[in-house]
Amino acid sequence: MVAELACERVVKAYGPRPVLAGVDLNVAGGTLTAILGASGSGKTTLLRVIMGFIEADAGSVAVGGKVIAAAGQVHLAPDKRAIGYVAQEGALFPHLSAGDNVGFGLARAERKRGVRTTEVLELVGLDDSYAPRRPHELSGGEQRRVALARALAPRPPLVLLDEPFSGLDAALRGETRAAVLHALTQEGTTALLVTHDQAEALSMGTEVAVLREGRLVQRAAPARLYQAPVDAELAQFVGDAILLPGTADGAHVSCALGRLPIAGHQVHGDVQVMVRPEQIQLRRVDGGRARHATNDPPVDARAPTATVVDHTYQGPDTVIALRLDRDGGGSAVRARTLERDAPGPGERVALEVLGEVIVYPPTG
Amino acid sequence: MLVALLVALPVIITVVQALHGGLSTAVDALKDSSPRALLVNSLLVTAVSAPVCCVLGVGTAYLVERTTLPGRRIWTLLLVAPLTMPLFVTSYAWATLGGALQGFLGAAGIIAFSYYPVVFLLTIVSLRGMDPALEETGRSLGLSARRTFWRVILPQLRPAILGGALLVVLDTLVEFDAFVALKFQTFTIHIYAQYQLSFSSSGAAALSMISLLLCVLLLFVELRLRGGANYTRVAHGARRTQTRQRLGRATPVALAATSLVVAVGLGIPVGVLVYWLTQSSHLGFVYATDNLRYLWPATMTSVGVAAASAILALVFAVPIAILAVRRRGPISTVIERVTYLSFALPDLVAAIALAYAASHYARFLYGSLTLLVLADAILFVPFAVVAMRATIGQLEPALEDAARSLGAGGLRTLVRVVFPLSRPGLAAAGMLVFAFVLGDLSTTQILLPPNLYTLGTAFAANASTVAFAAAAPFAVVLALLSMACAYVVMSRFGKVRGLAAR
Repeated sequence: MVAELACERVVKAYGPRPVLAGVDLNVAGGTLTAILGASGSGKTTLLRVIMGFIEADAGSVAVGGKVIAAAGQVHLAPDKRAIGYVAQEGALFPHLSAGDNVGFGLARAERKRGVRTTEVLELVGLDDSYAPRRPHELSGGEQRRVALARALAPRPPLVLLDEPFSGLDAALRGETRAAVLHALTQEGTTALLVTHDQAEALSMGTEVAVLREGRLVQRAAPARLYQAPVDAELAQFVGDAILLPGTADGAHVSCALGRLPIAGHQVHGDVQVMVRPEQIQLRRVDGGRARHATNDPPVDARAPTATVVDHTYQGPDTVIALRLDRDGGGSAVRARTLERDAPGPGERVALEVLGEVIVYPPTG
Repeated sequence: MLVALLVALPVIITVVQALHGGLSTAVDALKDSSPRALLVNSLLVTAVSAPVCCVLGVGTAYLVERTTLPGRRIWTLLLVAPLTMPLFVTSYAWATLGGALQGFLGAAGIIAFSYYPVVFLLTIVSLRGMDPALEETGRSLGLSARRTFWRVILPQLRPAILGGALLVVLDTLVEFDAFVALKFQTFTIHIYAQYQLSFSSSGAAALSMISLLLCVLLLFVELRLRGGANYTRVAHGARRTQTRQRLGRATPVALAATSLVVAVGLGIPVGVLVYWLTQSSHLGFVYATDNLRYLWPATMTSVGVAAASAILALVFAVPIAILAVRRRGPISTVIERVTYLSFALPDLVAAIALAYAASHYARFLYGSLTLLVLADAILFVPFAVVAMRATIGQLEPALEDAARSLGAGGLRTLVRVVFPLSRPGLAAAGMLVFAFVLGDLSTTQILLPPNLYTLGTAFAANASTVAFAAAAPFAVVLALLSMACAYVVMSRFGKVRGLAAR
């Protein structure tokens, strides 16, 4: 499939500091790519370059095969680009009703007919009764939906969303997210979403691209990004990660959590081991011997043991802070468990790591 | 409430006087063709100058705030200055240029070019507060920069433009000094003439009813036009600096347009003053040196009265502005609107009303400077309210809530949070009133104790005998003071501390 959006070596600097240091990004038609980055990573700048609100110092942007920006040569005005845009917090025009906001970008005749307005409002899950309402009479979630409807109304092939769910509470965010995904899929619109929220990027993106200090560090499907981040820093950015020193001997690595299988290539020598807390399974132990239910497999006698330091109840799961007994009570690790009766502080547990682990070159 | 009552005092007295003396004078005036023609004159000059004010104000504000116009700070100062320049100085300057500038054209022109800064200042505040994403969204929906201005930006500016236009219109309707200087006959001049002819305040009061009625009508119309729309930001959006429209090849055109506005608004009075001053070095030398003895005491009186009035006006304006911004409702709207009523009385009528009240109920005030200070403060409260609303409107209510939650009472919140934050805006509001009092002539002439003189009265006394060279030094001091005011107003109007750097 032809890339709907193609950014090539986009560079933008404010003063001596490059905000975008050569970004290459292709987005396939009909997909949603989430750009994930911390604040200051350059994600908003990239979005504004694509929109045409700012000009890049180098590089080019093409939409549907047509170059709309090439530094120093082409700079199509934002209004000539036909790219939909959903600003942070929606940016609804306060002087217009919701319906008039949605119809804003339509040609006069189509605006007057109002069919398309009703259609896109429905698409985002709002019925006709919303059309006459003023923006300040809408809730935060409704405002975002109207903003998306407004962007979709003129049928742009590409829509950019700038932190579209920031400031919404958790329940509303989930609901609004679903409505947005539904609308984008229905219209078959290609979308680029910018966010600093990992969960949002992972749950919404067909693909997630991580931007760090003006560079794309990894671009992958959400599961791949979470399970196999390219470096330790990224591993910690896209989720909770435990990093331990270890020694690899081909397909396995030995570390404080025992001898574990390595995902991917064979590695040898000193490494850094990355384990996700939910990979760690806990069993209560009594006086050095594991106490387990009859149908549980027996605990490996060589399994590392640890003492619970703290536990944080989070509703569906519980995060348990542990201090490993081995190497004289050294390393601190965290485990995440779905068990209702999670061990409390002071209890001793045996650890087992599920699945393969990721290794990185050692630090320093 | 009490403040509103005090501010409305001249209006109440005038209405009572008018009813007492019978409204027949007003009815007769409307029947008579000559005053009716004058009323038409008044309305016509207003109808022409107010839209021009809006165009000049919005246009220049957009240029300095949203484009890459070179020298924006200097231009802002120069564009604000005509407002603080005393109108009687400007009008004498226009009058001496003679010819075409007298009569209707001059009258409309002087109003347009002296009052557009009201719209200019309010528009700038409004432009600064706008979420940049609104504009960007407009562009993303296929609107060119020009159409985005018409369909997105201009509608957001509506309250600022209407508020500014209201002040301009009210001021034009009761303007006296400038129109006398330009020999343009208006209804207000007719009221003054009535007063001087008959020495009966009831006749003038009755005639003022017409002007009050117009004012009430205008206040209502403005309120309706503003509508129930909530123009405050629905969302905070990104606190991002606004992008400026690149002027490119249009830069010379924009510069020329701005220069033209400044040349007419500020260039004429300053140029003529400089001319007079050079004249005074030889022609009016004797006069001038003689007059210079009066310069210092005149300056002291002027500054003293203006400063006291400004402070008093702020005291009046603070509760009204806070009420209007924070407790939006019918009562606060009425109170806010009432402040405009005194403003809509011809200065003369308001001054007489206060003098009358003082002579009957507060003899100790009669003929004192205090009464003049009170009158000036009451007259210019609307400007102070508008200026303060511009600042207080930008304060996050959450800050006040936080202060309340920390145990600070209403008054303490005001003193410890609201005032410190809105200090730049307060300074601008005070300076605006200060400049207007300096530039006020008719109220001063009536209420100033006989043994005193201000820069204004000294200037007028000399200028009316065409001794311009002798009048010039007074005008120069006024002009310098007004430039200082313009600087404060320009740099602080509608600003909040901490956000000022934005």
